[in-house]
Amino acid sequence: MVKIVFKFFIIISCYLIFRGLVAEPLLDGADFDYGEYLSGQCLTCHQNSSDEGIPAINGAEAIYIAKKLILYKNKELENEVMQLVAGALDQEQIASLAIYFNSLEK
Amino acid sequence: MNNLSRRSFVSFALASTSLLAMPAISTGSARPKVVVVGGGAGGATAARYIAKDSKGAIDVTLIEASKHYYTCFYSNLYLGGFRDYDSIGHSYDNLSANHGVNVVHDWAISVDPSARKVRLGSGATVSYDRLVLSPGIDIKYDSIDGYSVEAQTKMPHAWKSGTQVKVLRDQVLNMPKGGTFAMVPPPNPYRCPPGPYERISMVAHILKEKNPTAKIVVIDPKNKFSKQGLFMAGWEKHYPGMVEWIDNDTHGGIKNVNPETMEIETDLDTFKADVACVVPAQRAGAIAMNAGVTDGDWSPIVPASMQTKADGNIYVLGDASVASAMPKSGFSANSQAKVAANHIRGELTDSRVFPAKFSNTCWSLVATNDGIKVGANYKAGEEKIEVVDKFVSKTDEGNAKRKKTYEESIGWYNGITTDMFS
Ligand SMILES: Cc1cc2nc3c(=O)[nH]c(=O)nc-3n(C[C@H](O)[C@H](O)[C@H](O)COP(=O)(O)OP(=O)(O)OC[C@H]3O[C@@H](n4cnc5c(N)ncnc54)[C@H](O)[C@@H]3O)c2cc1C
Repeated sequence: MVKIVFKFFIIISCYLIFRGLVAEPLLDGADFDYGEYLSGQCLTCHQNSSDEGIPAINGAEAIYIAKKLILYKNKELENEVMQLVAGALDQEQIASLAIYFNSLEK
Repeated sequence: MNNLSRRSFVSFALASTSLLAMPAISTGSARPKVVVVGGGAGGATAARYIAKDSKGAIDVTLIEASKHYYTCFYSNLYLGGFRDYDSIGHSYDNLSANHGVNVVHDWAISVDPSARKVRLGSGATVSYDRLVLSPGIDIKYDSIDGYSVEAQTKMPHAWKSGTQVKVLRDQVLNMPKGGTFAMVPPPNPYRCPPGPYERISMVAHILKEKNPTAKIVVIDPKNKFSKQGLFMAGWEKHYPGMVEWIDNDTHGGIKNVNPETMEIETDLDTFKADVACVVPAQRAGAIAMNAGVTDGDWSPIVPASMQTKADGNIYVLGDASVASAMPKSGFSANSQAKVAANHIRGELTDSRVFPAKFSNTCWSLVATNDGIKVGANYKAGEEKIEVVDKFVSKTDEGNAKRKKTYEESIGWYNGITTDMFS
């Protein structure tokens, strides 16, 4: 019984997160148009046409992108260019970029 | 921020078609018109972003003299044998096919800012609501005594897009055994600050393999240069004893060059070369001068938008602009283009305008798998573009890191050329 309730709880939670009803704080304040503008800075290097040397990020999970950017911002991931770019982004900008790149075709 | 969506213009835009007519190029609609002169790092990016992001609401015409754009970036890697020439050439076909940009292959001869018209080599005129100039550099042939347009086949500068770099590669490959390669880098400010020193590295790379007793002498009009410590350490490591760099204080100034005798005369000495790459001083492409938006050799701009200080309807991008702290690079030009594109769309279609953000990284190859980089991001100050933060590779960072940096530069090259031409 406990197992079934737990399963049910998980399914409902997933559904709510999926529907955006339970907000993911990392994506708070995300603004699609702003993300589109900011993405210009990323697209100089990150393009779908190539995965060589620099990863293609179009269509990646928004949360994944946001978490990565925060790790670069905090210098917990190595790469000078990414630390520089992410270091200059605030939470709203990270969220906006994350949802914008997520919307692009893989 | 203004939230009037550009989408409201889409249906209207789709209903209109573009016509190319002589002698006036009519774009056949009441859509706002943007004309971009120069389809390089700045211009191709601007044309693509304005057309793509306005989803047809803005009529974009790109005027570019050449049918194919051969990037100066990575031309040194062609010189060193790391790329073939075709791999650095790009066509404009996708800009029209994918984004509806009217690509006109012609020279822009003059600009009439009051009538808002550009005259082309064919005699046709194109009118604009906003004009973007990204013509790159012109070479100041008379900045070195003895240098001239004719001299450039004997002593190629290979500092503009095109086939001169092929001439230079042939000359290096055919240099006599134990001969001397001389390089005269340009004085500041110039296109691609680390470029001359990457070029020296690539020439050294060829000579080490094919002509190991040859020498390289660098007769610099400057006393220091970009990524100097990294380059000099790299030369010592990979090409010991081959490269001699002579600064301005030591040689006392370059007096003249002689393409017939292949001599370069300085206060200190006259250097005789078998092959010489001479890169004179530079200035904004002629069309920026003609448009009346330059002050001296370059175009001062408003940092928040890349509009020229002289005329709010004219934007100047890339090498031709005075971008203060930003170096004259393809990366910078591409970054500035996005700021300008966002501003132009805002002005013409009321789309939202976001604060300017600029960035640049310049990768250079010193030897096989030995890549180095320098980068910064920037913001728009009142008067100038200002550095926010920066980094540079370290001399002691190890081979694995250097190899990764080189691989990253390949990713960047693929990225930026896709961002310009897809
Ligand atoms: C050897 C070398 C290595 C380099 N390496 C790098 C690098 O690794 N990374 C980097 O970021 N940058 C690099 N650069 C610098 C980079 O090439 C330039 O900074 C960049 O191209 C500038 O872009 P732009 O739009 O200002 O001009 P350009 O890219 O030169 O584009 C100008 C275009 O305008 C056209 N044009 C000019 N006038 C007219 C006219 N009147 N009518 C019609 N068309 C016209 C030209 O045909 C040209 O296609 C390098 C440069 C050199 C020389």
